[in-house]
Amino acid sequence: MVGLSEGEKHFIRGGITQDLRTDGRKRLQFRALSVQTGVIPQANGSARVRLGATEIIASVKAELGKPSILHPDKGKVSIFVDCSPTAEPMFEGRGSEELSAELSVSLQRCLLGGKSGAGAAIDLSSLIVVEGKVCWDLYIDGLVVSSDGNLLDALAAAIKVALSDTGIPKVNVSVNAASDEEPEVDVSDEEFLQFDTSSVPVIITLTKVGRHYIVDANSEEESQMSSAVSVSVNRHGQICGLTKRGGAGLDPSVIFDMISVAKHVSQQFISLLDSEIAAAEAEEAEC
Amino acid sequence: MKDRHLSLNQTQRVRLEAALHELQSLAPAAASAAAVTVADTIPVNQEDNILKGHGTSDQDGEVVATLCGVVERVNKLVYVRTLKARYKPEVGDIIVGRVIEIAPKRWRLEINFSQDAVLMLSSMNLPDGIQRRRTAVDELNMRSIFEENDVICAEVRGFQHDGSLHLQARSEKYGKLERGQLLMVPPYLVKRKKQHFHHLEQYNVDLILGCNGFIWVGEHVVVGEKTKTTGGQQRFSTEAENFTPLETRKHICRLANAVRVLSALGFTLIVELIIETMEASVSSNVEINDMLGAEFYVQTAEREAKRRADLLRKKNGASSREGQLLMVPPYLVKKKQHFHHLEQYNVDLILGCNGFIWVCDMNYVAWEICNSLARLYEYLISQAIECPSQSVQVTNTFVKNLWRGFMRVPCAK
Repeated sequence: MVGLSEGEKHFIRGGITQDLRTDGRKRLQFRALSVQTGVIPQANGSARVRLGATEIIASVKAELGKPSILHPDKGKVSIFVDCSPTAEPMFEGRGSEELSAELSVSLQRCLLGGKSGAGAAIDLSSLIVVEGKVCWDLYIDGLVVSSDGNLLDALAAAIKVALSDTGIPKVNVSVNAASDEEPEVDVSDEEFLQFDTSSVPVIITLTKVGRHYIVDANSEEESQMSSAVSVSVNRHGQICGLTKRGGAGLDPSVIFDMISVAKHVSQQFISLLDSEIAAAEAEEAEC
Repeated sequence: MKDRHLSLNQTQRVRLEAALHELQSLAPAAASAAAVTVADTIPVNQEDNILKGHGTSDQDGEVVATLCGVVERVNKLVYVRTLKARYKPEVGDIIVGRVIEIAPKRWRLEINFSQDAVLMLSSMNLPDGIQRRRTAVDELNMRSIFEENDVICAEVRGFQHDGSLHLQARSEKYGKLERGQLLMVPPYLVKRKKQHFHHLEQYNVDLILGCNGFIWVGEHVVVGEKTKTTGGQQRFSTEAENFTPLETRKHICRLANAVRVLSALGFTLIVELIIETMEASVSSNVEINDMLGAEFYVQTAEREAKRRADLLRKKNGASSREGQLLMVPPYLVKKKQHFHHLEQYNVDLILGCNGFIWVCDMNYVAWEICNSLARLYEYLISQAIECPSQSVQVTNTFVKNLWRGFMRVPCAK
């Protein structure tokens, strides 16, 4: 990460205060978003999202597995993030472990809900095949290819797009199975069930620099932050998760304010993302 | 500079391809002829002892390129020069660099070169401006002049025997750069010109085009204030009053975005081009952050293609203007009006005070007239030589008068 001189930092802070950032954006404006689906043909669903210079590839793979004993009627989803050394030289080897772990945990909290499975973005009961015996395991992987700030937002957007692109194969269960035996399942190659991603939330990260918050900070602005709050909001304006980063303390009233700003911004972002997904799907259908 | 991806819709893609195609056709043919990619054979005269330089290798007796780039030949040396290479410094280059380390009696700067550049304490003006020997106290106070991560403008002083680069910042115009932003573009886009410091008065902005590809766009700082010791923290404590004014900031952001767009398109960065791009964005009411969008990108490519086509047409137009140069004794040409455009004949007549006279036609139709006019002058010269006492003063009225009479006089071939 390139350091910044005092003069440059002063310039960035001045820009945020005057509502004109270094690339001309306003405080609550996102960078150009570009979305591609189906980039990994071997996966059940995949997406590549570019937010400015930040690039994320997300893939969803579905495998048949056994549901856990505590929740026999629910499938399993696991999210894992990896940072590629092409993004930053320091991500080579084990350098990215801390950042990857932090991003994975934040995403799991936002998308998978609590321990009981309540409040999950993905309806886990739709993943069940035979109750108590066979269920779908979803492995969602995110790869950070290029890093220029705001990784969490881009990852959540990529996962949302990848899920909308995911097709779970239809499973035919043989009816004559005895209740304590393993049922025979026939995984269809032809028919697929599409996921309904209308309830998958997006994450909006608000970075506090000085007395103002900005949305979609690039890596220079992120180096200036005192604290950052990531709010996960779904289409209905409900908050699905909250993460705070950064060493500075925040007054509770400030947090409430940030949450309301995030809710407001998220509606625009969700509609933008949906239109991009629709466009990408239309393009894929054409090909 | 991280690559930005632009999603172009169908029409934009078509327009961009048309513009790039036009630019390629306008480029001089020689440039494209010498380009090679990996594993291309380089045409080489086998009899000469060719020295195989960087980027080449010997394969089955043939010289084959191992890099993608342009073939350069210098006497017996043949090498391949890549386009997006690291910066290659030359003495006297103006560069912008970032301090990465403070070492005994020197600062180390990063300038996009294969090594770090060194700025000696003795190559830097002291804050009080006095020319004196640098003492140990000066060495301890180096951090008060430049800290780590500071952006500095300096000049290349020379190379040391071990290949490291030495800089100097003795003049008032060099020094720490604040109140602005630093942009990084590929070094080959910044050509060496006479001036690298550009003070854009109309915008109150300083634009420094470093030869190493680091470009500084910032608020104008009066020369002489740069090398003052900054109190570091105290300067920025009264921040709110100290921020760059919004109008200047808008200009800075627009210029920075213009540079980003031009470097993404791969156009050479010239001040006029940057200012033109910026003014085009203002006149077409493009929002500052939309300058980085697909539409403005395509528009800039189209504008540049049009500009280069116009330039080429003008140049071709100028060179196809045929004419004749006549040499007469200088004393025949008096200092009067020297540029004459003879409307009725559509001929340009330039009477040089040194005795060189240029007669040329504006279009092909007037060629005959031009020819006749040239012969007129030859006649005049011959006349002057024959009768030196009647020194003929070659002026426009004289020519016109004689012309009217000349038509009846048989011309001396």
